[in-house]
Amino acid sequence: MLLYLHIPFCDSKCSYCAFNSYTHLHHRRARYMTQIVEQFLHDVEELQLPKAIFRTLFIGGGTPSTVDAALYERFFEVVRPYLAHDAEITTEANPNSATLTWLAQMRVLGVNRLSLGAQSFDEGKLTWLHRAHASHHIDEAVHAAYSAGIRNISIDLIYGTALDTPALLERDIERAFVLPISHLSAYALTIEEHTPFAATPQVARESLEMTQKLFEAIDAHGFAQYEISNFGTPSRHNLGYWEYAPYLGIGAGAVGRIAEHRRYTHTDVDAYIADPLYRTLEHLSPSDMRIEKILLGLRSRVGVDTALISDTSRIDALIEEGLAFVENNRLYAKSYLLADEIALFLE
Amino acid sequence: MQNIRNFSIIAHIDHGKSTLADRIIQECGSVSAREMTAQMMDTMEIEQERGITIKAQSVRLSYVKDGQPYILNLIDTPGHVDFSYEVSKSLASSDGALLIVDAAQGVEAQTLANVYLAMENNLEIIPVINKIDLPAAEPERVAEEIESSIGIDATDALLISAKTGIGIRALLDAIVERIPAPVGDPEAPTKAIIYDSWFDPYLGAVGLVRVFDGAISKGQQVKLMANGEVHQVLDLMYPHPLHRQKTTIINSGEIGIVIMGLKDVGSIKVGDTITDAKRPTAEPVGSYEPAKAFVFAGLYPIDTDKFEDMRDALDKLRLNDSSLSYEPETSIALGFGFRVGFLGMLHMEVVKERLEREYDLDLIATAPSVVYHVTLTNGEEVKVQNPSEMPEPNYITKIEEPYVKATVITPTDYLGNIITLLTNKRGMQLKMDYLNEKRVLLEYSIPLNEIVVDFYDTLKSTSKGYASFDYEASGYQEGDLVKLDVRVAGDIVDALSIIVPRSQSEQRGRALVSNMKELIPRQLFEVAVQASVGNKIIARETVKSMGKNVTAKCYGGDITRKRKLLEKQKAGKKRMKAIGKVNLPQEAFLSVLKMD
Repeated sequence: MLLYLHIPFCDSKCSYCAFNSYTHLHHRRARYMTQIVEQFLHDVEELQLPKAIFRTLFIGGGTPSTVDAALYERFFEVVRPYLAHDAEITTEANPNSATLTWLAQMRVLGVNRLSLGAQSFDEGKLTWLHRAHASHHIDEAVHAAYSAGIRNISIDLIYGTALDTPALLERDIERAFVLPISHLSAYALTIEEHTPFAATPQVARESLEMTQKLFEAIDAHGFAQYEISNFGTPSRHNLGYWEYAPYLGIGAGAVGRIAEHRRYTHTDVDAYIADPLYRTLEHLSPSDMRIEKILLGLRSRVGVDTALISDTSRIDALIEEGLAFVENNRLYAKSYLLADEIALFLE
Repeated sequence: MQNIRNFSIIAHIDHGKSTLADRIIQECGSVSAREMTAQMMDTMEIEQERGITIKAQSVRLSYVKDGQPYILNLIDTPGHVDFSYEVSKSLASSDGALLIVDAAQGVEAQTLANVYLAMENNLEIIPVINKIDLPAAEPERVAEEIESSIGIDATDALLISAKTGIGIRALLDAIVERIPAPVGDPEAPTKAIIYDSWFDPYLGAVGLVRVFDGAISKGQQVKLMANGEVHQVLDLMYPHPLHRQKTTIINSGEIGIVIMGLKDVGSIKVGDTITDAKRPTAEPVGSYEPAKAFVFAGLYPIDTDKFEDMRDALDKLRLNDSSLSYEPETSIALGFGFRVGFLGMLHMEVVKERLEREYDLDLIATAPSVVYHVTLTNGEEVKVQNPSEMPEPNYITKIEEPYVKATVITPTDYLGNIITLLTNKRGMQLKMDYLNEKRVLLEYSIPLNEIVVDFYDTLKSTSKGYASFDYEASGYQEGDLVKLDVRVAGDIVDALSIIVPRSQSEQRGRALVSNMKELIPRQLFEVAVQASVGNKIIARETVKSMGKNVTAKCYGGDITRKRKLLEKQKAGKKRMKAIGKVNLPQEAFLSVLKMD
């Protein structure tokens, strides 16, 4: 099982961000951090989870680094018995707030993997994205994490923006691989509703040629692509989602899935603080779960059990056209870029 | 009988026929101002939207002139060439006709055809120039045009505005003075013509009749002369768009609605004669001809599960439209559907729209086709109404196609463009008459196939909407024709086959595939789109394969949303037709229709 903790606080809101995050609620942080403990203890008991069940913990946001490490202590205390001894424990952080002190304290609590929201090394692009950091903050944060003893380090980059040029993307990759990273995520800019960029959708501009060159450049540095946006030593946590592992979500707007139920808490921070045990359940039919397995499997190296696909002639057609291959009764997309289209074709 | 006047209104679309009818009803005090909705004579939603009359309506009105009460029976006529048979029967039921011409537009092609029909029926024609309140009105020029194009005296033409009410009284007086009272023998055996019929949800199939001799009484046993059926008259009514009035007898010279408890309009056909079952009249009123389909098209439900629903919908539509003919048809590309016969292009559009709107069906229509007479090498003659069923060329001795005589009236400004259009459509000029220095009447012999596809729209855009058009069938002629097939990913899409002149096949094929290339969304695979005649490929385009369809992020909190998005995309694809492994949108099928 996977464990996800959501930290809904940020220093600033990025132009593209549709996540559940708040920039003005810092005074709620302490209260919030005690309520997540309540929820965790309740859920563990309700579900009668055994010790050491979680093989991963992922702290995401928002920006987990906007919350003092001390405020995480109680959470780790209650969670620790339920973590496997070799659990992958990741925290997200932003380059401006991931200080050596914070990172070192988190390392002491058990964090062994860092996912850093770098987005770009280009100052112009960082400003345009409304990021709170400059490029030197990325270098400093990565080195600080390394010094703090976190050796599994990932950075996020964003592409498919109107500012991109082949040269800009190439420089971003070169700068990234100077750093001691083991993983890289590269996300195409997606315009989401209710974000500042939604008013100017033309800021997202993707050239297939540039995307393919970007993937090749990352691969040339020895980072294999294992999902449409992820390269290098896989995140066991994220891979778990695509493998359809069950997961528990803790915090405001955190989502979980246990067997055929997807679970939702209050999204609003105040509502969550008032009632951290509240949840709504979404029932997943066998057909829903089948579709999810197909779409998750095709976008990653997980692949799809061929028994899930009723029309085998469609599989043959994909193989014939060189778009997919089958190994040990699992179907894999040759290019993750077409994952959704292939899923539609198989449906 | 001396105080009855039966009259029709003849007018081109937009020349104000329905407005005038409404104004006359109001002037006779038959409907209060409060009850007046816009265009009450056009009751079907589609009629009101398009400003056309599809089903004829009638109304019985009272009018007093010089202290004398009169019954005025207004017999409305369908305003479109597709329904000319119904028009002819409405006119046969009238003793006079108002010829309405727009004071700014002048005489139009469809008006001409109907005026000639009225003249054949020996009707008294009263020319009426409408819309004289418009700034662009030129009543004198229009009167001149009526004289030169129709050859009737227009010096006494009435000048009116149906919109403002100018001249309506004078018009009603003229109807009384100039249109003759009906003649007939009240003592003779019952003789009445059915000039319209429709399905009423409460009364069943009913007929609207004009009684010539004798009378129709409630309880009477009557015979329908064309099919020999005998029925009892259950009820009789005088027609009115809002309040029909019950009666026990419809006398010689009158019009009325006959209710016999019939289940569908197929047994009470327009043009048939009603007579007394025991004492029948010797001769029917005029000759009865069953409605004949002129244009055929395949109609297919996009959702293949809806085939039975579509059959039910067609069965219901036929209750009200005996001219509708259909039979099940199978297409490799489109699955199960129907080959439907229509009276013309408007009829086809109206039927398709009603099926979609009133029966909630999503339909794909194939390119409309005419009926070809094909002589085979073994001497046999076959009729082909579906291009995909055209025999292979080596079995064919000759193909004959239907021609029409097309009449176009246009301002001289567009004459050049219209002649070019007609020539491109393989038209042969029969006549060119200047109605005056500004307007020209053209008559062309032209293959029907050339006008069933997109002709009317092109004519309208070529002439900024000023040219008008009418046609009538004029027999079959041999043509050098071939079947043009479309192949998608190598397979012939049977629903897209069309019959074209051999000389145009390459050009049409190229246009077709380049058009389709734009309309086929990129697929997972590269898709070849080809046009072929027999085994010979005459044009080819390639739809490149898709580059990307995947979203960047999909973690624990995104999965439900992601699944729903995929389901939505799937629903979108379901609206397309899967041809092998290729999804074709409806527009790709329709592109065959728009090819110039």
